[in-house]
Amino acid sequence: MKHELRAILLATLAFAIGTVQAAAPAEKPVLNPAPTAKDWADIAKLPDWSGVWTPNISDQDRKARSDMPPWTAKGMEQVQWQLAEEKAGRPPPLFVNCLPEAMPGWMLVSHNSMEVLFTPGRVTMLGESDGGRLRRIYTDGRKHPADPDPTFHGHSTGHWEGDTLVVDTVGVHPQTYISISEAAGVPNNGDMHIKERIFLDPKNKDTMIFEMEITAPKVLTRTWKTTRIWYRQRAQKYDIIEGVCSEGYFRPDKDKWGNDIFVPIQHDVGGNRIPPK
Amino acid sequence: MKTSLRKTVVCSALLGLAAAAYPVSAHHSTTMFDRDKLIPLTGVVKELHWTNPHVAIYVENSVKQPNADTGLWLIELTSPGNLIRSGWSRGTIKPGDKVVVNVHPLRDGSKGAALQKITLTDTGQSFTYSIRDSDRPNIDQEKEK
Repeated sequence: MKHELRAILLATLAFAIGTVQAAAPAEKPVLNPAPTAKDWADIAKLPDWSGVWTPNISDQDRKARSDMPPWTAKGMEQVQWQLAEEKAGRPPPLFVNCLPEAMPGWMLVSHNSMEVLFTPGRVTMLGESDGGRLRRIYTDGRKHPADPDPTFHGHSTGHWEGDTLVVDTVGVHPQTYISISEAAGVPNNGDMHIKERIFLDPKNKDTMIFEMEITAPKVLTRTWKTTRIWYRQRAQKYDIIEGVCSEGYFRPDKDKWGNDIFVPIQHDVGGNRIPPK
Repeated sequence: MKTSLRKTVVCSALLGLAAAAYPVSAHHSTTMFDRDKLIPLTGVVKELHWTNPHVAIYVENSVKQPNADTGLWLIELTSPGNLIRSGWSRGTIKPGDKVVVNVHPLRDGSKGAALQKITLTDTGQSFTYSIRDSDRPNIDQEKEK
């Protein structure tokens, strides 16, 4: 009994020492400082990006035909197959699973509106779909993490050069599409790096221009430079609508107690509700 | 306002025709619908699903047409946001409304279709849409001019 007790004590002591040795030296946590009055005042000096922004879809259509990304041979083969399938009435379902259109797809092929919010140290883009699509662009001077956890929209840092927001994005899921339409695109397959210059057209301040440079060595032979255009809508009736993508996969019904509930409805492979028989 | 709405609807119809050759849906291409076929469905609206990513209208078709059997049809549209920007609202079409809907049917022959135009039988008002209606700034201010 005494031997057993001694053994337990020794084991506990050894574990405790091991734990202390394994613990890394305490690092001072990096804090997000409380914004100062000057930080808020500086926001007022930024260009006016208020309102709701809608994508120029006709321009997206034109670019899909005239501004093809520099695909690798394998990527081009996939895109040509997708375009042929779409033409034949079998559009490849890239975005019908309610996962986000993500980066860079949101910026390239979205058919939904968005808004842009400025707060100290941050620019936030909020979109109408995907269940509340969102990009956080840190403008507080931080760097990308050395090994960012992959996400649908990646890790974005930004800074202002005059009235232009310069954004750098890494850490995007390899599965997100570099898309030229809702039916054609190739997953970036990893190591993607996106640079953007975002500014209002000096000739028409209700036009926002996204100059994009997409580097994706797994599927592009060189950096793809392209632009997209968004238009400001000031009418209040066009305010962003909550866009919970999966809502369309349910219908309102009642349960046996008479409560209002959502019940799933089936969709076909193309993303449409299955018609009644 | 009525004139403005009519202008909007007519304008949307023209844009809709111009855009008919291209995909018109929110999250996926719509070439699964046969744009070479345009069939009228005549009947009563049974349900409206005013939901993202796509709105749906269920119509009980009571008049048999070539390529269009009688019975309940599912008509797909774009998102609520895109419809609002084309002059619609959630109350534009309601269950119980008598309608004639011109649709592009699914290629597989099932009772599913994409909306081209819907007309309320009682008022004669027609509604269509194009997701390209907001391809310019401040569309509402333009409409009011």
